[in-house]
Amino acid sequence: MNLAELKSKGLIGSLNAKPMSDAAFPYGLGTQGLHEVVEEAYGDRAASTGFVLTATKPTRSGALLYISQASTRRNLGYLSEVALQEMMCGHISRLSLVTRNARDALWAVEEAVASGAVSHVIAEVDAADFTATRRLSLASGRHGVPVTLLLPYGSEGATASATRWRLATRPSSPNSYDARALGRARWSANLERCRIAPSAAGQTFDIEWNDETLSLRVVSRMVAGPLAPRTSNARNFQPRRTG
Amino acid sequence: MANKAARDASIHPGLRLADACATLPNLVREEINRESDDNALTALMNWLLRFSPLIAIDDADALILDTTGCDHLFGGEVRMARELSLRLDDVGYDHRLAFAGTRGAAYALSHEKAEAQSPAILLSGDERDGLFNLPVSALRLSGKTLTLLRRFGLTRIGQLYDIDRKAIARRFHSREAAEAVCLRLDEALGQRPEPFEPFRPPPDHSVHLLCPEPLTDGAGINAGLVMLSDRICKALVARGIGAQTFVFRTFCSDGGLYSVHVNAARPVCAADHLLRLFKEKTDSIDPGFGIDLLQLEAFRTAPMAVGSRPLSGTLARADIDEAALSNLVDRINARLGEDRVTVTVPASHHLVDLAEEVRPFAGKIPKGTLRTDTMHGLRSIRVFDRAEPVEVVSEVPDGPPLRFVWHRLVHRVARADGPERIAPEWWTYLPPPPGEPRTPPRTRDYYRVEDTEGRRYWLFREGLYGDERGKSPEWFLQGLFA
Repeated sequence: MNLAELKSKGLIGSLNAKPMSDAAFPYGLGTQGLHEVVEEAYGDRAASTGFVLTATKPTRSGALLYISQASTRRNLGYLSEVALQEMMCGHISRLSLVTRNARDALWAVEEAVASGAVSHVIAEVDAADFTATRRLSLASGRHGVPVTLLLPYGSEGATASATRWRLATRPSSPNSYDARALGRARWSANLERCRIAPSAAGQTFDIEWNDETLSLRVVSRMVAGPLAPRTSNARNFQPRRTG
Repeated sequence: MANKAARDASIHPGLRLADACATLPNLVREEINRESDDNALTALMNWLLRFSPLIAIDDADALILDTTGCDHLFGGEVRMARELSLRLDDVGYDHRLAFAGTRGAAYALSHEKAEAQSPAILLSGDERDGLFNLPVSALRLSGKTLTLLRRFGLTRIGQLYDIDRKAIARRFHSREAAEAVCLRLDEALGQRPEPFEPFRPPPDHSVHLLCPEPLTDGAGINAGLVMLSDRICKALVARGIGAQTFVFRTFCSDGGLYSVHVNAARPVCAADHLLRLFKEKTDSIDPGFGIDLLQLEAFRTAPMAVGSRPLSGTLARADIDEAALSNLVDRINARLGEDRVTVTVPASHHLVDLAEEVRPFAGKIPKGTLRTDTMHGLRSIRVFDRAEPVEVVSEVPDGPPLRFVWHRLVHRVARADGPERIAPEWWTYLPPPPGEPRTPPRTRDYYRVEDTEGRRYWLFREGLYGDERGKSPEWFLQGLFA
């Protein structure tokens, strides 16, 4: 059987398909290269975790390796399986690794990327300096496995990663059924650095996560705040005397 | 215990210290330390693994080796005994060796035979003649039974051969003692089998490398390891099996032993993978005065899954290459510690803490499942291992939280949603024995709350007011919503 025959039967795909355009919203987050997602203030880790899981559209299905440090896991909890599956639209096979320190975590990231056995590596580390990000970025480029680092607030300075996002939690959307209840989760993601599209750097995306349709959408700032409950104007009416 | 010099001066174990000192004024004495004796004996036993894989500690002061099938490697029992004796002399141990076809005979020879004749070798089948002149105390009998035997005038093992078994039984007033005599005699003569329990399970496969010149550096050890892993993998491939545990031992000429082991998530029979796993660990081996024997053993063998690699990613049957994943996990575990990489599988529990089970990765990765039927409400993206206690201001009895303090920070609740009530699993609760206080599990009410800064939390109140299950309810933080 020659190549053309294989192709006609759909057994192999086109070899010169165009790579996905990276100059649009997630800017390659979770599809290729190294990306950093930093929390804006203490307490925004849940938002940055949610952003990473929802904004990535895995190009190939495969195992996700989730690496975290023991201290992070203790202070901020572990990733719940149900929520992870919902945010990544289901059927993701996940491996978890807890390491003692950032050095071990970064070593494991590089080892996983070089092995090519996983399709995405997410690592939560305390710090990653320029050398570390450079190494990971080169390895990721060479082996085609995307890497995402979740970093704590205050992570600044030089980096070799393709993008750096800064995530803040926003009040949730108004709940049309119950004004006192929570609505859909909202975050504001500030694209601090972007190597692929430098002109896009500095943009802020206000994002809303719909947990019913499992979809992400960009919302305008106008409706970002919670809606104030409308007061009834019944008391302005004069009771009309009858009879 | 007394050493040879002391015994020559007629000082024996059991003598009182005052009497011993009177006999020999400059006697050196030391209090017995059982623990370090045991440790030394265990270390010696591990070192003697070079002679036989089946080895055990016998009593507190003896080692027993099953050398069946091992003696020809050293050129026969005589040569093996000489080699053993030389090695033990080198290390500085006073020893008495005996080789025999049965464990009882070997015990009798080593414990009671005159020391000058060490090593004593008794061929299989010659037990009757060899043990004839030995005292009955060599039969591993208790003190009371020995006293009785002495009273009957039976002091030599040979005297027991011709006595009728029934007659022996009649002379003892206890049945157990008579049976013990017969049992020990039969075991020593090989008429009844005596099971041997080795200290550690024997390996499924083992290769060793004798070094003509003692190795003193890491390069030599690595070269030896390359040869050994190549040989063991060829042997495993020839039988179509792989192994999950490999143990690498280096025996030093001065009695030191160093062993490192690696575990694999699935059976392995590839030498290069094995070497990569060992690479992290062999650096810590201290050659000391030189290593003269290397040994590589394989445990937990299983048939290899036969299959060929797909030609390209699009032709692969499954999305995940579990073999490649296993290799990655093996390398991570070899460096960072055993069972570090885990998989999460859903468990049939209503309680949030128990709804997910974390297991070490064992070659298979479960497909992610969305929800089990025991999970209903929303689950937070981050969940704490142990729910963190928080101070909460809320409406009594069952209002949502209005304000809470977590990590000493005050959070004002802007919006709240709930409760989702999760009742305790009564079928897992075992009531305590009578007399002890009953602490039945309590109902939990989960609330999703959002503070004024927009961050979302998952709080729960453990217990209800007036449920008569302990004090007033307490609040905990279970997780963080995205």
